[in-house]
Amino acid sequence: MNNSTTISLDEVRRYPPGDLAIWVFIMAELLVFAIFFSAFAFTRMNNVELFNEFQLTLDRQAALINTIALITSSYFVVRAVLCIQEGDNQWCVRWLLAAMGMGLIFVVVKFYEFSHHFGNGINLSTNTFYMFYLSLTFFHFMHVILGMGILGAVAYKAHKGGYTPEDHIGVETGASYWHMVDLVWLILFPLIYVMR
Amino acid sequence: MDTFTNKGKRAATIVFAILIILTFITFFIGESGTSSLTISLFVLALALIKGELVGAYFMGLGGIRGFWRLPILIWLFIPGSLITIAFYLSA
Repeated sequence: MNNSTTISLDEVRRYPPGDLAIWVFIMAELLVFAIFFSAFAFTRMNNVELFNEFQLTLDRQAALINTIALITSSYFVVRAVLCIQEGDNQWCVRWLLAAMGMGLIFVVVKFYEFSHHFGNGINLSTNTFYMFYLSLTFFHFMHVILGMGILGAVAYKAHKGGYTPEDHIGVETGASYWHMVDLVWLILFPLIYVMR
Repeated sequence: MDTFTNKGKRAATIVFAILIILTFITFFIGESGTSSLTISLFVLALALIKGELVGAYFMGLGGIRGFWRLPILIWLFIPGSLITIAFYLSA
């Protein structure tokens, strides 16, 4: 018993939480975003005035609300994982639903932003800044939608009692993906909305 | 087990509070309208610190030894360095 516990703890220290496959997927996603971020920064080098001018047209307060929403949702997901580790499925579901609620706030605010820009006739070909802004934020927006779907599926299974303190890899897998979505936004927010 | 999860809750809550504070600092720097290379790189540094906090405490990579501790750190370092170079060259 002691030996198996030691081996189990050792495995926890060597491997990230959740299914390893999701980590390969996360790394691939992060690579794409890293290329996007770098391309944004290096394209800006030759268009500093344009980027600074059109950055001022963005709604920074909306971005603040979205950043707080995603950080809060990530925190709620951490609490959900801790609950399932204690065998508390009911509170795990509640935390996951709360995280999805925060995700929904992000979606609504972002939809409002997109509507505002498209309503003003802004699109991908308006200028280089908007090409990057719309591409990057819409690409991330789609990840939020997918992440909410994953959290919903995990919450449903937890509601059905599909996880135990010994076997809750699905919760950790969904949580890891959601944290990745949060992580990307934490770089995207200052890069596009603040740095000039 | 309870002690373990209580420590986890406390750590997550502290990190959550730090992330919110750093976010507001970033926002108010943006609202101040000031622009310089130093300020931009300071804002980027705050973002990278936030990223590391999420990776270590929310994603659970902080206590891991070996290869799997590295991906998020490397991900933060490479684009962070490239963004720094790009902003430095355009200043």
